[in-house]
Amino acid sequence: MSNTTVETTSAPAIAPRRGSRSESLTAWARELSLAPAIILAIIVGSFVSPQFLTANNLINNVMVASSVLGLLVIAESIILISGYFDLSLESIVGIAPMVAVWVVVPQATGGLGWELNPYLAILIMFVLSAVIGTITGFLVARLKLNAFMVTLAMLILLRGITVGISGGKSLSGLPPEFLFLGSARPLGVPVQVWILVVVVVLAAVFMGLHPVGRKLYAMGGSSAAAAAAGIKTTRLTMGIFIFGAVLASFAGLMQTGRIASATASQGDGMIFTVFAAAVIGGISLNGGRGSMIGAALGVLLLGIIQNILILAQVPAYWIEAIYGLIILIALVFNHFATRRARRGRELLA
Amino acid sequence: MQITDQAVAIAVEHVSKSFGPTRALIDANLIVRQGESRALLGRNGAGKSTLIAMLTGLLEPDAGEIRVTGEGGVDEGPGADSIACVYQKSTLVPWLSAAENISLGAYPTTSIGAVDWRAIRSRAVSLLSEWGYESIANRIVDELPPLERKIVEICRAMSRGPKVLLLDEPTAGLDEGGVRELFIQIGRARERGVTVLYVSHHLEEVFEVCDGVTVLRDGRDVLTAPTEGLTVDDIVVAMSGEPIARVEARTASTGPLSDEIVLEVDGARIGSVVQGVSLSVRRGESVGITGLDGAGHIQLAESLAGQRPLDDGIARIHGAPIRSGQVDKAIRSGIGFVPEDRHEGGFVPALSVEENTTLTILDRILTRVGLVSGSKRRSRYDQLSTAWSIKAERPSQAAEELSGGNQQKVVLARALASDPEVVVLLHPTAGVDVTAKNSIYETLHALQASGRSLLIASTDDDDLAICDRVIVMSHGQITAELSAGYSEHELVSAVQGGTVTASIPTASTPPAARAPKR
Repeated sequence: MSNTTVETTSAPAIAPRRGSRSESLTAWARELSLAPAIILAIIVGSFVSPQFLTANNLINNVMVASSVLGLLVIAESIILISGYFDLSLESIVGIAPMVAVWVVVPQATGGLGWELNPYLAILIMFVLSAVIGTITGFLVARLKLNAFMVTLAMLILLRGITVGISGGKSLSGLPPEFLFLGSARPLGVPVQVWILVVVVVLAAVFMGLHPVGRKLYAMGGSSAAAAAAGIKTTRLTMGIFIFGAVLASFAGLMQTGRIASATASQGDGMIFTVFAAAVIGGISLNGGRGSMIGAALGVLLLGIIQNILILAQVPAYWIEAIYGLIILIALVFNHFATRRARRGRELLA
Repeated sequence: MQITDQAVAIAVEHVSKSFGPTRALIDANLIVRQGESRALLGRNGAGKSTLIAMLTGLLEPDAGEIRVTGEGGVDEGPGADSIACVYQKSTLVPWLSAAENISLGAYPTTSIGAVDWRAIRSRAVSLLSEWGYESIANRIVDELPPLERKIVEICRAMSRGPKVLLLDEPTAGLDEGGVRELFIQIGRARERGVTVLYVSHHLEEVFEVCDGVTVLRDGRDVLTAPTEGLTVDDIVVAMSGEPIARVEARTASTGPLSDEIVLEVDGARIGSVVQGVSLSVRRGESVGITGLDGAGHIQLAESLAGQRPLDDGIARIHGAPIRSGQVDKAIRSGIGFVPEDRHEGGFVPALSVEENTTLTILDRILTRVGLVSGSKRRSRYDQLSTAWSIKAERPSQAAEELSGGNQQKVVLARALASDPEVVVLLHPTAGVDVTAKNSIYETLHALQASGRSLLIASTDDDDLAICDRVIVMSHGQITAELSAGYSEHELVSAVQGGTVTASIPTASTPPAARAPKR
């Protein structure tokens, strides 16, 4: 409409207006930016041990070991994209299955003595975690308390309750309904792996295409802009904390099923790995950026690295330290890999 | 007191300053004598801020001389040690005590290097007692009423010893009683020999506190005179230049307006900021709404877009009430909104241009299973970007990568995505260059031509000039209404609270009763 306007757009020949193919290619390139690192890790792994590149190792060790972490990373990533974070997820991994087992197993093995139906116990577990998420969400979204302090306090509180009701001991003698999540192998693949894949796909579709998912991106990117566009930010914030808590409790149930007992320390220290995987996977701690596929690849990369360290027979006492070092290297690498893109953006800003 | 006999406190002589091609000050002069109270006046862009920045030592003049004479006739030069500057915006740390704020950054210490709290307190008490406020020394600033905060601010500025006090819009945020008390305090300070340089948009205040005025226009001092014998009109004429200039340059809407009322506001009340405002906007009409800071025009506009609730009163579109305080309800009622600061609430930087423009209509671009339809979103974006000429490399480009003018168009397109009947815009051209500004005006004209109504809350002359009429608010109430073709003089005088215009001071005047435009 105005022929006097001089704008710094590139010529249409370079970036076709309707070039949906090249657009989707760049979009995929962004999603899969961790792929080179994963391929590199796989190459290194296959040199370290002949066992590494076997279907058995990749599925039964790498994927199974990543499944509980993967669900937590998906939960945390959605909260991070929305502009918040939740440290208490790791203690929900502990308390939710602990309570579920507590109300099921007999008093003799440390239970409460109610000996409820396992399905009812699992229902109670989900309701409990939803209540926890509601409280956290209320404090953060409605009372506008600092998310770090609220979720840290919640982490300590829930961890303390878990230790309190279990007396610090593990509860075992679980009914088969609990063990199913740890041992079933439909089509020869562990059910945990199926669950992880389904959750990642659903989360990717939800965050990428569902209107609520897009609203979460808008809210995390600019809460004021989202509110000005008519998005109910308080309600959504409550929602993501509830969702995160429920998904974390399910992850905890999976963990309990796999080790066939509910331990008082279940989930301890996990939140650091959760954040590392999310950030390596491209989720911004400032909100509004990152994708579910990227986060899932971050989990996969960490899982592969951990597996290689075990196969390489690195002394168990040193694994933690090496793990931490690799996370640092990955972050620095990520910084330099994306620096060019950011620099271009800053010049324009 | 015979001021003309006093020694000179501030001497600004033949000072010029340019920023690139912009000449902010051209041969400006300002002589203030000791014990005098002088108002420094001028419209936005007249050069006031540049002159203040030079007096406080933040900027150096390109040419000319600035002298500030301290006690004993010594030239101290400009800077915070010779001029105590109190800005409109608070510079206090809210959760520290008044006493600590006064000594902030220059803590007295004891012999072992620890902070000397006793000295801090006694210094604060002695400074505050000059104003009769020694009792607040230990209070937390956050708990103090606005006037007492202002006093703390003044004490801090003067604690380094200056005898010249520069007050920039000191009455902003004060209530009637606070203003009274502040004026009394300023009067007492002058009796103690303090020289006052008073910067304000409120002309009536100037007559109460100042002996003389200096008016800047386009970087020059165009009027320096004692307040006595001066009228508000004289000052307005000096501020705006020729009283009848630029009238023929104004253009407003394209044709005759329909009589169909689209938006109606009845008795709107928001706290003490908006006090019972009623107005109506017809189909295809553009209405400007303006006022000084805190006049309530921004808050009124925001409430219509659901950004804040009305405490009382009602807004209707085609007679149907809009649920107040809910943005999504306002959008559904047919209101589009362009917020004041595009960086604050306008767009989501990391999201793509097409997502930003369609953010308000996510529920209208879904597939049958309830997911966002990429093709529907793209076709809506294509319509919007063509209609409002958004220049992005591709629809999926992040909004943060666009130029400022294009970002503003994205914000505009977002407001229009829902096909609103009324578009509420706050400062629609703030921070964009002239080309983008004209392009936005063309867009607004096109919107009007398509039958939409515009409500433009702005203090920019050019924004108001494209309106069919301009409503002026002051202290939460409508005080004047100007039809297109008003002179700059009329606008300045109405906004500054003057009395010369023949404007109709009521909003309830039926449209037919007004003189036909042009």
